[in-house]
Amino acid sequence: MPRVDADIKLDFKDVLLRPKRSSLKSRAEVDLVRTFTFRNSKQTYTGIPIIAANMDTVGTFEMAKVLSKHTLFTAIHKHYTLEDWKQFASSSPECLEHVAVSSGSGQADLERLCSILEGIPLIKYICLDVANGYSEHFVEFVKTVHAKFPNHTIMAGNVVTGEMVEELILSGADIIKVGIGPGSVCTTRIKTGVGYPQLSAVIECADSAHGLKGHIISDGGCSCPGDVAKAFGAGADFVMLGGMLAGHDQCAGDITEKNGKKVMLFYGMSSDTAMKKHSGKVAEYRASEGRTVEVPYKGDVEDTIRDVLGGVRSTCTYVGAAKLKELSRRTTFIRVTQQFNQMFT
Amino acid sequence: MPRIDNDIKLDFKDVLLRPKRSTLKSRSEVELTRSFTFRNSGQSYQGIPIIAANMDTVGTFEMARALCKFSLFTAVHKHYTVDEWKDFAASSPDCLENVAVSSGTGQSDFQHLEEVLSAIPQLRYICLDVANGYSEQFVQHVKDVRARFPKHTIMAGNVVTGEMVEELILSGADIIKVGIGPGSVCTTRKKTGVGYPQLSAVIECADAAHGLNGHIISDGGCSCPGDVAKAFGAGADFVMLGGMLSGHTECGGETIEKNGKKYKLFYGMSSETAMKKHAGGVAEYRASEGKTVEVPFQGDVEHTVKDILGGIRSTCTYVGAGKLKELSRRTTFIRVTQQLNPMFSN
Repeated sequence: MPRVDADIKLDFKDVLLRPKRSSLKSRAEVDLVRTFTFRNSKQTYTGIPIIAANMDTVGTFEMAKVLSKHTLFTAIHKHYTLEDWKQFASSSPECLEHVAVSSGSGQADLERLCSILEGIPLIKYICLDVANGYSEHFVEFVKTVHAKFPNHTIMAGNVVTGEMVEELILSGADIIKVGIGPGSVCTTRIKTGVGYPQLSAVIECADSAHGLKGHIISDGGCSCPGDVAKAFGAGADFVMLGGMLAGHDQCAGDITEKNGKKVMLFYGMSSDTAMKKHSGKVAEYRASEGRTVEVPYKGDVEDTIRDVLGGVRSTCTYVGAAKLKELSRRTTFIRVTQQFNQMFT
Repeated sequence: MPRIDNDIKLDFKDVLLRPKRSTLKSRSEVELTRSFTFRNSGQSYQGIPIIAANMDTVGTFEMARALCKFSLFTAVHKHYTVDEWKDFAASSPDCLENVAVSSGTGQSDFQHLEEVLSAIPQLRYICLDVANGYSEQFVQHVKDVRARFPKHTIMAGNVVTGEMVEELILSGADIIKVGIGPGSVCTTRKKTGVGYPQLSAVIECADAAHGLNGHIISDGGCSCPGDVAKAFGAGADFVMLGGMLSGHTECGGETIEKNGKKYKLFYGMSSETAMKKHAGGVAEYRASEGKTVEVPFQGDVEHTVKDILGGIRSTCTYVGAGKLKELSRRTTFIRVTQQLNPMFSN
């Protein structure tokens, strides 16, 4: 008989952070830079732990060039060729410590990954991304990649529960991507019924990862800077953004005009649009699990970044955290039924 | 004094399935076909256990022809004449094992059922459908139909609680239709205040039915492929769809055009539209318990079927079920407050 877990699991929209007494005088005092040493690769990271998602619209080289200036990170999407990578590496060598090469778990993916990492030894991060991180096949793949690249830091996912976070860390991954279905253009929950509310997933998975000295990325579900702050407050070491970074100059795709307004295309990586673009079509036995939307064109991503970082700094001053590192320790979430006053919306 | 049941009963939207470890490599490995042997008829069934509802818009012969290609099932609505059935049987004999003849509990319904079944002996399924499966008269009707057709597999409903599932099974039904009020064009909950959240109804009724080697259909409440997966996860042996299959080429009714867009009419079988069409009007003592909506025209149902089956295959890989049969055993539901990120929805 199926089991129903009686606890209600929470999303970002279900909570707010409770303010706490603080000795900080200004948001300017808040330090958002974090330093991590990774469990399996033994490498060290320093930067502001926000990551552009490895989607072909958002995880671009252009995005990486701007984000790395602010010490933010980019998981570069897996559809660039080795030649593209070589050009990027020679034109922007300073960006290389803030990017990851992405890969799926197919044989062709692995060969591509190897050729890029061998071609550009300065790259230190690998992002192994599959829709369903629960398959034994994926666990084996993580082991294989860790054995081949023992000194590279491996991000792997996606999963949403503690036992699978532990399994992937013990298989050689350093940073586990957490999130199934929360993304703004993801329809996995509608198409399959599977998923996990993101705030609860992050709280539970961070706890599991930190117990093994591993790390996690909260991937998906952030629709405003407050959600990014909540993800960090919940224990995420990194926060990955797709929709919030969509629609900028640094994104791939054309800017079109519609009813006098500029828009850009944004879509999930299992949507019809993405599957048609990269594999010709949606396979017979599959349903598309993503949406395609037109997002308003927002100009340069620098402005959005300042807005996000300013928001997170303000969160830190409200709860009395002088460093991002302290945010989750200073976090008390209260449950709410609405986020903001709807009067003028 | 009225009693309040304090447990919260759940709908599909209140839960998600928790992913679990899996040895499956690809969605293409998942087997959605099931085999059942029915308790009272002794007959067996094999196919993908999704059923088009016996509504006059959806449970059509055209739908049956399209669905039987995928080994899906159609509960054909009760408004076809014996001659129409004969034509269908002659032109599509291959579909007959994937359809049921529907009937109500009236005397003329019973006669019609007898005529169709004696004209087409290859038909093996009967769907006895009333709005309220709790009446003694319905129990007696199930017994009468069972006595008259001992070898036919009988679907009967609708009910939403374990004790009535057991009663109907013990009265001769094989597969119990579960659902009161969850349908997209059903207004029973509004008009009467009666109903039961569908996920909890399915969990409880499946448990009751399986204890007697009976089966159930989750009837109503599915608005997306994920809901179909949740119904199976909750223990439904079959899932019946109305609204999700509406608006297609194979549906009954005209395609209408409005502001350059195409629509088809879809309505509950107790709506004013249906009652006017089939009974000449809404009887004085009744309220209409269904609504009429215009649904966007969706083309051939084949695309929708592939989308649903693809979704369920993906569900199975997420929870590590190599077969649909294993899905409910591998299911843990978590309670949630929202299904989907609303960032880009209007």
